[in-house]
Parts: sequence; structure tokens; C-alpha cells
Amino acid sequence: MSTHAEFDKITGGEEVLGRPFTVTRETIADFALGSLDFNPLHFDDDYMKEQFGKTTFHGVIMHGMQNFAMITRTLTDWLVPRGGYHRRLETRWLTPVYLGDTITPVATVKRKLETNGSRWIVFDINVTNQKGVSVATGEAMAEFADVFPGAPA
Amino acid sequence: MMSVLKLEEYENDFWKDVDNRMSWDQIIPGDLRNTKPITLTKEVISQFAKLIGDDNPLYYDEEYAKSTPYGGIVAPPNIHIVLMFACTDVSDWMRSPGTINCGQNWYYNIPARPGDTITMRGSALDKFIKKERLFAVHENVFTNQHGQVICTGRGQTIRPV
Repeated sequence: MSTHAEFDKITGGEEVLGRPFTVTRETIADFALGSLDFNPLHFDDDYMKEQFGKTTFHGVIMHGMQNFAMITRTLTDWLVPRGGYHRRLETRWLTPVYLGDTITPVATVKRKLETNGSRWIVFDINVTNQKGVSVATGEAMAEFADVFPGAPA
Repeated sequence: MMSVLKLEEYENDFWKDVDNRMSWDQIIPGDLRNTKPITLTKEVISQFAKLIGDDNPLYYDEEYAKSTPYGGIVAPPNIHIVLMFACTDVSDWMRSPGTINCGQNWYYNIPARPGDTITMRGSALDKFIKKERLFAVHENVFTNQHGQVICTGRGQTIRPV
């Protein structure tokens, strides 16, 4: 099926539900090696008892970019089989995510738009924890182009 | 000089070299960060995807990847997460312990592929104080060996006092 036909099937308000992700010391250690981000915020229990300017934490926190990675996974898992291209992701971290928390991203189709050259989907992004509290919000943009971006020659 | 990205070769103690890094006071918006190009392999792409929790076969299964419009294995779009640390050295201020990420905006132009050599151009764009917190805005651009843009992004961090 063409990307055009796939684009036409998408409806405003449609929700793309991500898989839940639970934070453990192992997932943090994996993310640190994967990202090369070894900030002690994510490992050092004693360090996390300190004051960070006006900010205090109660324990080590998940890498903020783990949110970003789980949002990306949610979008690409849905887009790749439809021939859509993940064009953009804008995020804000609202509250820290701690060990034992489970986060779940949801992308909601907010807008469908056709420009001179292509077709676009704008998503609202919301990542909630197990208490239903938003830990991250954002927007994403996907393109359903006739020519796939960067396709091999 | 070409250098192949191997995650295990990087320093994992961010306290080392802490005194060699610029504090918020010393960061000059517009000054380029020191960077070096790195080359991506199939191995490091699949390792990265697995470690950040992304199990899409597009990043490790050549047969599957060939059946998609990508035409072969690609790096996840968010490969910039590791490229930022991989292309900078131990004195880079983004490694300062206590750096707090507030959120990021990224635009994806074309995918990075195995064998690509990626160059980073990065700088602080701005710095400001809000509610007694010290903020820096950063901007990064990653390009491949053909000079094509892979992705561009910016973000905000709260800098340690």
C-alpha cells in the first residue's frame, strides 16, 4: 500500500499507545552505557542526598533521554510499517522518574496536513507514570513522503 | 582521523577531569565545543538500540530492514543521544556531574547508516538565570561523510552550581 493510502487511513484523535517501561538499576546502567551518559544523578545514592541549587531529589533518577527513547520507539514502531518517517520530536521533562516507576508514552494524532511537497502528521506526546502523572510532554511530527528520506540509491 | 565508535572504550567516571570542564560562568554562547568524528558500525548500532530499550528489528535484522523503505539497517533516529558524548571529549561541559536535562527538540533529516562517519558541530546558543537556576541552551548538528545533515537539535540543561 502506498504511503499516500496509509496517510489517508489515519484519523485525527487516533492514539498510538506505547509499551510500558519500568526503571531499574539495570535499565539505568544499560542506558548509561548505550548513551555514554555516566552522570552520577543516575547511580550515586549518596550524591542524590545533596541539594542541587534549588532542586532536591529523593534518590537516583532515570536519564531524561530514556523518556525520549521510549517516545521514539512508540512512534517508529507505528510509523515504519506504514511507510511514515519520524521527522521531529520536541520534549519537556516535567518531573523526575525514579527507580521502580513505570512510564508509558502515548502519541495522539493532533493534525493532518498536506503541503505542496508532502503529507504530515503532528502528534501530541504524553508520558505518564504508574500514578497517571505526566512525567514528560511534547510534540512529534511524521512525514508520509512519496520519496523516502535518505533511501539508498 | 577516523575512529570507530566502541562504547566500552569511553571513561565512565564523570568525576575525573571535573576541574577541566567549563562552569556555567565560563561557557561562551557561540563558541564551538571540541569534537571529533566517529564511525558507526552495525555492531554499535544494534548495541545502542538494545541498551536504550528499542527492540525494533530495523536496527539489527538486515533481512527485515531490506524489506522496509529504509532498504537496510539504519541507526535509530535518536542515535544523537550517544553521538553527543561519543564525539566530545572528557573535558566537555555536558559531562559535568549534576547536569540536569530539561528537554530536547530534534529534527531528523536522513538516517545514519552502518559505515557512516559522523561529525558533530555543537555550541551553547544562550545562557540565562531563572528562579536562581543556571541554564544553558545548546545546539548540535550531526552530518555524515558526504556532508549531508543527519539531524539537528537543541536542548536546555540546568548547570551545576
